[in-house]
Amino acid sequence: MTSILPLILRRIVVSVAILFIVSALLFCILRLLPVDPAAMSLPPNATLAEIEAKRHGMGLDQPLFRQYLIWLGQVLHGDFGASIHFRRGVAGLIGATLPATIELAVLAMLIAGTLGIAGGLFLFHVRGSAKEPIADTGSIVLLSLPEFLWGLFFILLFGVALELLPFTGRLSSGFQRPIVTGFLLLDTLLVGRPEMFWDAMKHMILPSLALGIAFSPTLMRVLRSSLIDVYQEDYIHQARLRGLSERRILTRHGLKNGILPTLSLMGVQFGFLFGGTLLIEVIYSYPGLGNLMVDAVRNADLPIIQAVGLTYCVVVLTINTAVDAAYIILNPKLRIA
Amino acid sequence: MNALPRWLRSARVLMGLTIITTIALIALLAPFIAPHDPNEQNLISTFLPPAWVKGGDTAFPFGTDSLGRCVLSRLIYGARIAMTVAIVASLGAMLIGAVLAHIAGYFGGTLDWLIGRTVDVWMSFPPVILSLILMVGLGIGLRNVILAIVLVDWTRFCRVLRSEVLVVTRRDYVAAARLIGFSHWRTITREVLPATLPLLITLVSLEMGIAVIVEAILSFVGMSVGATTPAWGQMIADARQYIYDSPWSLIFPILMIFVTVLGFNVLGDGLRRTLDVRVTETQRT
Repeated sequence: MTSILPLILRRIVVSVAILFIVSALLFCILRLLPVDPAAMSLPPNATLAEIEAKRHGMGLDQPLFRQYLIWLGQVLHGDFGASIHFRRGVAGLIGATLPATIELAVLAMLIAGTLGIAGGLFLFHVRGSAKEPIADTGSIVLLSLPEFLWGLFFILLFGVALELLPFTGRLSSGFQRPIVTGFLLLDTLLVGRPEMFWDAMKHMILPSLALGIAFSPTLMRVLRSSLIDVYQEDYIHQARLRGLSERRILTRHGLKNGILPTLSLMGVQFGFLFGGTLLIEVIYSYPGLGNLMVDAVRNADLPIIQAVGLTYCVVVLTINTAVDAAYIILNPKLRIA
Repeated sequence: MNALPRWLRSARVLMGLTIITTIALIALLAPFIAPHDPNEQNLISTFLPPAWVKGGDTAFPFGTDSLGRCVLSRLIYGARIAMTVAIVASLGAMLIGAVLAHIAGYFGGTLDWLIGRTVDVWMSFPPVILSLILMVGLGIGLRNVILAIVLVDWTRFCRVLRSEVLVVTRRDYVAAARLIGFSHWRTITREVLPATLPLLITLVSLEMGIAVIVEAILSFVGMSVGATTPAWGQMIADARQYIYDSPWSLIFPILMIFVTVLGFNVLGDGLRRTLDVRVTETQRT
């Protein structure tokens, strides 16, 4: 274990460094905007002198680098500023919406992982057979359907045509949302309301399924090709010569190495998937980070855009770091550095 | 038939090319084939279903939307935005990504490290979020949509191509080219590039599909070309609000995006199988 720890620590240091660069980049892009945050945060009847005073108060008359340092100092103290549109603290707004997005992303990732591994095993199973071209074409068709087309398609099919499942919001109108941890699925269970948990779950089936299906084909194809690579190795032939069953060769020998590229891809995919929640949230009127972001974009609400953009990056970097760490632990080849 | 190169004989490549050429022709000939002006409103005949459904009007083959605009004409004009963005943005992203990938992979060292870390920074943004933030900074409009996609997606090329360049650069014939006195520029363009070109072409094809999707996403949230230019994502956003009144006007743009992206993906997949020597040796058996 001693040789693993420094590697993981190094990975974390790199991630923190990246985060600082990302925050600087974000700050610079948004300063390109031709809007004046000072004028927007004051009532419309403010005089020019008042705006000028506000500009000075907000540090807007200082050089860009200095402005960034001021902002960074505030962020490090947990002060993300106040929303221009909602007139509320941005930290509070993010705290109220982030759990919903995390719930959606985790559920979708579970679906994507399950479908990806099952589909990959299936594609591997039919390799070389008459079914292969059909399965291959199927995976290209899946690859061509992004999450928001699945989302709309599911709304049309299960929501409008069949009227099987709800497709807006998180709870039916009769329920009062309990707040314990902020994670709705967890909270409904904590307060002992299984019927409300089920209702919340029903609202999440379509959005998480749409997101999960859209991200599964890449996993399928990578698992298939890495299994094909692994099966060229001598130790698989040797296992076969020892008389092990095909099933045992696959589960005990093939998958052990073959699944590693898929696992590392899952980390990258989870980052994309976390971004994909934005569209799904807008389509399903799901009260998460994505809807907050799109509203902020439409209102040119800079403090929110900045903070939400940063939140997305923090989550993605955290996931990638965790996956890399898991990869270092699982793959002995990487431990010698 | 034998005179044709192998990539032109692949069924996938032909299918992909057929789909894309059809849509490109529709986009080019839009003013001649669209039955109506895409922005012309007919407030008496809103939410018409397609002509073959009961209550449809043959003047509007695919029906009308909430403002009585012809869905077919809007689809046809929407193809212009989609194809323009797909072609220009992916070539732009390819240019930046490929140049940086060749520099990083060929020269290695500090340059490689610098480009690699830049890609890392970019990769920590979910692509949708970064393109939205860029659109906020740049403002809406066709040129800015293309610019935003180029600035977000060059990393897709850079990441994949860099490792390919690294492999090719270590081959003996590249070393031989350097030994007989080829300049770096000549070695990269004459020796390395031809070897990485198949992957590059495949990636461009796939990127075009991605660009179509990103444009649809941006116009869905109203951050693309503006309300007066018809775009598929914008049609979806309009129809989403009236989903019970006219599900049809939602289905058509979804189908158009799907078919277009499918065309690019099938083409990319076909090219990958036929152009890439390693793939053709192991996977075609």
